[in-house]
Amino acid sequence: MLARLVTVIVLLAGIAPATLADQLVFGSFRSTQNASNWAQKLSKMFAQEMVFHAFERNGETMYRVTTVSLGTAEFAALGRRADAAGVRYWRLLEDVDHPSAAPDPGHNRNALSEVAPRLQPPVPEPSTAAENTRSLWDLAVQTRSFAERGVYGQDQFEASVSIKLEYFRGWDNDAQSVTFTPFLRIDSADDERTHGDIRELFYSRISDSWDLHVGAKRIFWGVTEFNHLVDIVNQTDLVENIDTEDKLGQPMVQLSMVRDWGIVDVFALVGFRERTFPGEDGRVRLPFEILDNATYASGAEQRRVDMALRWSNYMGPIELGLHHFSGTSRDPMLIPELASNGDLVLRPHYPVIDQTGIDAQAFYGDWAFKLEGYTRSGYGDRYAAATVGFERTLVGVFGTPADLGLVVEYMFDERDDDATNTLLEHDIALGGRLQFNDFADTRALLGIILDTDNHDYIVSLEASRRLSDSWLLSLEGRLFGGGEKARRNTPAATLLQTQYKSAWLQEDDYLQLELKKFL
Amino acid sequence: MLTRPLLALTLLVTGATQSADVDLTPVQRSFELLSPEQRGLAIFTEADKRNSGYGDLEVELKMILRTAKGAATERNLRIRQMEVPADGDRVLIVFDTPADIRGTALLSHAHKVDSDDQWLFLPALKRVKKIASRNKSGAFLGSEFSFEDLALPELEKYSYRYLREDSHQGVDCYVVERRSKEQYSGYAKEHYWLDKEEYRTLRVDYFDRRDNQVKLLKVEDYQLYNETFWKPGRMLMENLRTKKSTELVWHDYNFAAGFNADRDFSVNSLRRAR
Repeated sequence: MLARLVTVIVLLAGIAPATLADQLVFGSFRSTQNASNWAQKLSKMFAQEMVFHAFERNGETMYRVTTVSLGTAEFAALGRRADAAGVRYWRLLEDVDHPSAAPDPGHNRNALSEVAPRLQPPVPEPSTAAENTRSLWDLAVQTRSFAERGVYGQDQFEASVSIKLEYFRGWDNDAQSVTFTPFLRIDSADDERTHGDIRELFYSRISDSWDLHVGAKRIFWGVTEFNHLVDIVNQTDLVENIDTEDKLGQPMVQLSMVRDWGIVDVFALVGFRERTFPGEDGRVRLPFEILDNATYASGAEQRRVDMALRWSNYMGPIELGLHHFSGTSRDPMLIPELASNGDLVLRPHYPVIDQTGIDAQAFYGDWAFKLEGYTRSGYGDRYAAATVGFERTLVGVFGTPADLGLVVEYMFDERDDDATNTLLEHDIALGGRLQFNDFADTRALLGIILDTDNHDYIVSLEASRRLSDSWLLSLEGRLFGGGEKARRNTPAATLLQTQYKSAWLQEDDYLQLELKKFL
Repeated sequence: MLTRPLLALTLLVTGATQSADVDLTPVQRSFELLSPEQRGLAIFTEADKRNSGYGDLEVELKMILRTAKGAATERNLRIRQMEVPADGDRVLIVFDTPADIRGTALLSHAHKVDSDDQWLFLPALKRVKKIASRNKSGAFLGSEFSFEDLALPELEKYSYRYLREDSHQGVDCYVVERRSKEQYSGYAKEHYWLDKEEYRTLRVDYFDRRDNQVKLLKVEDYQLYNETFWKPGRMLMENLRTKKSTELVWHDYNFAAGFNADRDFSVNSLRRAR
């Protein structure tokens, strides 16, 4: 009560020379855009009309945000509200139209906030660029060296070059934009790996509470490290890498809404993309030719419009996402058939599925607990699959600035060995991620995935290091073992047996080096 | 709670008459009545108040990392921040260079009581990853700054103790000890040097649990923006053990850029940060 009374006294004392305009000043700007933004924000905050005027200071045009002329009571009331909101203000002591007008530091109305801010020539502020264009090229040379010649006579060495552009053009203060990301790879050995794709080409419209995106895009869902189980929106570009992290651009209309109770994404996925597979001369490939002409459960084939919906939110240490996907599966069944020459070949068949799933994460200190799971219809009986695990991060290990992340995950598929479209049906994965936090941003991820029933395994190492501001060197190595091996003369009927599921990997241990230049 | 009327009263005496008594600020006058803890809190409350009310801002940052031998490398980032008085401030950091991490973005939602939330966007996979709060003591981009050094501090998350008056490069300062209440701070305590006139942080000494000083931060080239806010132009963090250092050069401050908390500081905005 005492405080309130004192405030009023101070205000009255300041107002005493009553001939001056009763306007509160809320700051001055170099750009009209910024002044207008601030004025609008204040108008909303205080439900009070705000204006801005141009004036000269030290030969420069500035824009001062002020109230309209106020009566004494309104003036004091607004002052108190600004105090309460922590917004700074001044009283204007001269007519705003006079170029020399500057708030007098002695009459700072922010009564309880001490000494008046000193007035100085302002430092230039950039005006917000209305248009914004960014582009980045990357050119990469990649080599893959295999431990042995391929079972089907493929080369032991493969080289390729790739080029990617990331182009962004925003206008309307980036409320509208276009993103374009074309990609091309030329491979020395595999015709199928020589391929191009439009990874992204979309238009975005951003408003205060929703985003609309139209065009080809990449959407990532999920929380786990070794298996991206619920990541269903985009088709896998398998020729790039068997880790399924490379994806083809998916044409879509995406509406994303930000609400207090979470983010809701609605997707209409128009235009189906078929999975890419390594060709006859490619490595890390299945022992059969895969036909180009896929079959579809849907009569509309590639023209079916698939729908997806995802809600996600975080509540304290818990992050939760729920999704439903209804449409043509990205995971093809590979149906054996006899070609005219008598060879066994595989034809991809894309069923229509309904998938309902969850991805969740909970943090407890330096532990992160993770879960991804779904139930899916369309592959015979409805089935469930899940990945559960945790990650623990140790900061500053071995007395260095390096961080070490330890990951343990378990992957489970209800169909067990009958799950023909995955090798991760009862597997445990252990991983260590080492981030050196050095100038070169050196990092390495070592992991092993072990099948708990069949004991076949994959050891994987991924590492990268920056060579300079525009050069990046990456290394990737994979070792496969523990499973039945395919031989050139292994009968096709044997290769189709479930214990031969990982046979196609067994002779394809490799080391990949990539040097990337950014332009 | 006693301090507010006191401040107002002293202002009534000194401010209304515009006396030349500039050495004695209201906080100083009420000092004699306070315990070291209350004084420390009063100083930080005042500093916080002077840094509040900007609404939102955008600034560019050049980060120069140096080895003990003087070899240097550079990173460029853009920072957007916004005050959300009801909860905590929000910060979005977007990396521009080096090229291989371009488009990587970090979003922080500070909270007054709960642990802060932080998310990292990895552009190669278009993946948003939540960062465990434990990681905040980790090095930021290989620099001598940790995530917590760069976070916008919420007053409530620390305890304070006024130590002494001292002079830093000829400027009279309050020296206040600050201790994090968070379980996972990388420091046992920090000594903040704030200048008596404007309450700007000029220097910070960081101490480990064995009471050894591990890092030293110097903050320079303060300039007044928007007639109200003192913002630093240069920060130099030295690691006293490794002799490595990181310099931050802040430039192109842009106040009242017109951000919206949902549009510009949600997890969605991370995905489209450029």
